[in-house]
Amino acid sequence: MQKKDITEIQDSSRVPSNVEVPYGSNCVRLSPREWLIIGIFVSALFYSMPMLWERIERFEPAPDYRLPYELSSDYWLYDRYCRWACSRYETLVIGDSVVWGHFVSRDNTLSYHLNKNAGRNQFANLGVDGIHPAALAGLLKYYGRDIKGTKVVLHFNPLWMSSKKHDLQIDKEFHFNHPKLVPQFTPDIPCYKDSYSKRMSAVVERYVTFLSWTSHLKITYFESMDLSAWTLEHPYENPLKAVTLKLPASENDAQSERISWKEKGTPRQDFQWVELGTSLQWSFFQRSIEMLKEKDNTVFVLVGPFNEHMLKGKSINTYRRMKSEIETWLQQNNVSYYMPPALPGELYRDASHPLSEGYAMLAKQLFENKSFRSSILHSK
Amino acid sequence: MLFHTWPFVLFFLIVYPTYLAVKGTRFRLPWLLTASYFFYACFNPLYLILIAYSTLLDYTVVAIMEKRGRRKIWLLISILNNLALLSLFKYGGFVTENLNALLSSLGIPYAIPAPGLFLPVGLSFYIFQSMSYTIDYYRGNIEREKSLIRYATFVSLFPRLLMGPIERARNLLPQLHKGPKISKQDITDGLSLFVVGFFKKVALADYLALYVDKVYAAPGEYQSPALILATFLFCWQIYFDFSGYTDMARGIARMMGLRLMLNFNNPYLATGLGDFWSRWHISLSSWFKDYVYIPLGGNRKGTFNTYKNMFLTMVISGLWHGAAWTFIIWGAVHALGRFLTRGLERTSFYRDKVPKIAKQLFVFGFVTFAWIFFRAESISDAWIIITRIFSSGLANPYCPLLALALIFTVWLYQFAYESRLKWLLEARAVRIGIVVLMVLYLAIFAPSSEQPFIYLQF
Repeated sequence: MQKKDITEIQDSSRVPSNVEVPYGSNCVRLSPREWLIIGIFVSALFYSMPMLWERIERFEPAPDYRLPYELSSDYWLYDRYCRWACSRYETLVIGDSVVWGHFVSRDNTLSYHLNKNAGRNQFANLGVDGIHPAALAGLLKYYGRDIKGTKVVLHFNPLWMSSKKHDLQIDKEFHFNHPKLVPQFTPDIPCYKDSYSKRMSAVVERYVTFLSWTSHLKITYFESMDLSAWTLEHPYENPLKAVTLKLPASENDAQSERISWKEKGTPRQDFQWVELGTSLQWSFFQRSIEMLKEKDNTVFVLVGPFNEHMLKGKSINTYRRMKSEIETWLQQNNVSYYMPPALPGELYRDASHPLSEGYAMLAKQLFENKSFRSSILHSK
Repeated sequence: MLFHTWPFVLFFLIVYPTYLAVKGTRFRLPWLLTASYFFYACFNPLYLILIAYSTLLDYTVVAIMEKRGRRKIWLLISILNNLALLSLFKYGGFVTENLNALLSSLGIPYAIPAPGLFLPVGLSFYIFQSMSYTIDYYRGNIEREKSLIRYATFVSLFPRLLMGPIERARNLLPQLHKGPKISKQDITDGLSLFVVGFFKKVALADYLALYVDKVYAAPGEYQSPALILATFLFCWQIYFDFSGYTDMARGIARMMGLRLMLNFNNPYLATGLGDFWSRWHISLSSWFKDYVYIPLGGNRKGTFNTYKNMFLTMVISGLWHGAAWTFIIWGAVHALGRFLTRGLERTSFYRDKVPKIAKQLFVFGFVTFAWIFFRAESISDAWIIITRIFSSGLANPYCPLLALALIFTVWLYQFAYESRLKWLLEARAVRIGIVVLMVLYLAIFAPSSEQPFIYLQF
């Protein structure tokens, strides 16, 4: 058909208004019934795909497994690992990189040494690198739903209260770890300034398993990029070939050199601890304890051991006062706990991470601790 | 609050059910106006002052014209006021920058301070829509809208507020008069339009932008293949971006029982440049035709004047897009292309002997070339791109094959749509299959970024 030339035709502002407006320039026009068919089909797919995927993608963690470092933000996999661990292990060890074992190999983590002391595979390493208490609360709430009626060793790393920044209290925006897991709207986290759209997207992802599964695909097979960004890096590769259905192996190696802070020459620090009563991170940690207890879990809290040798000035006294306040709260709330004394200075990599021998010593201390023995080692 | 973001979903989930509940009552328009103003205020509450001012002035001017006769002075007041707003916010910086360059070249040691005003989103679109109302009333083409609320809703209707379509009063105002009858088909039609638009924007436009932005940010670092492909990708990016927005806008409006005009009609299948402009940004093209080209004389005063009018219209159209020389050149290139091909398009040889596909590819090639000026950051960048396309080496462009595959799939679909194979695309299984694929692609692979629309800057 010969199209009209805009330079030739008459003034269209005089065209009568009752002319039917064309629908569009494609055939994608569906009836209510067709949309219903699509709605049912897509919903079924959304519901079943993550479950089917679990059957297709093999996940058989070996003893002392820990999530690969590059999958730290793969919460769908964490959820899957949680379910797996709950069905096979008596006790889950949950916490940040101290539990995960950032500076040690897989066979030198806290859970490894606990298992060694127990003489059997009782403890599963559910640590996630970089997970601060605010994110941990979200992780347990949305992706740790299956942690029910089991024993949990919950680690608290006081490092997260060592400054207003670590405690997420500063007003200036900064990019902290695991932003998708923190409360997106209330309570307000002053330094969290993502757009409303991103926040809402994070909220939706928590409840729609399909979306956390798609994040799993991106993180696991597309180097944590979405498909478009990935194809920019790999312009001539077939994206389907990247989906190998093989999960990366458990992280065997340490993420950094295994030398002590002293050898590394790290200076002593004067941390500006936040008050326990005003600490955001502590309030989130309290929430995690309550959440786990509500689900009939036996919760044992391990505080530290923080590298007190690294503290200087007033910092050491403030830390000790804070520690005693934490202890009081745990006692008042009938939470079993252990607050080990600081390990020898040379057994730390930095302010909070022990080295291999440090973990071995800590595990030994735990096994000697009365409260740990009665709540964790004692059969339920 | 853009259509493809979660806040809009939330906004619509509140606005739409309420709209359905009040659509048969006198609260329909106030609700629609409130929603539209809230939508606009989400970008910046100060914008409301501007839109309210423009609305009130044009409403008042037409009211005066009704009372005192359709005198030119009132029309001029409205036009000058609207153009002044545009000039101040959109062209203030451009004009002072060029004046300062002129003063400097003349050795005059004085710099006019830049106005430092930001361009409110959607300004060019609603100003043009409002202007069309006063001009149409002056010409006697429409009746005066007596209700200020209805008129304000016409100007600010949220689905089309940011980037059009630039609706005519004679199409939209009557729809705001009567309570809409919203059928199930309207809702599903709206949904179909929205999903297609969403796919175009999120899965295609934003994807292509990754490569285009990278190359156009430093064109001197790339060689011919990369520059050609980036320009080719931009050609489709801008189409997917803008037509995607329009599809979403039309879909949302349709769900509300309002029919907005078709703004894009597979422009890259055009067989001539005139044809291209009757398929690309139709609401703007027809606006310029009705309110600039025809008042200038159109094609009624001989060949020279016809070309002069075409040239002026295209250059003004370029300037409308942005306050930069690149846009003016883009308009001028289109005008020159039109000069060169107008005669050719009228010959029987071109009409009957040249294969349609050859015409389509020729037009596509020309339009793609012209986009270089539109996309380049500056004239010098555009020049670098053009010269390097013809003179640099043939280094590997590292352009994602998936992006090219998606583009060719869409192009093929459009060719089929305008061919005898259209029946195939109309088959139920094909239509359903396409929607399922789009939804799954979006759900599984869509980027999580929130890229703004390109035309939002205009």
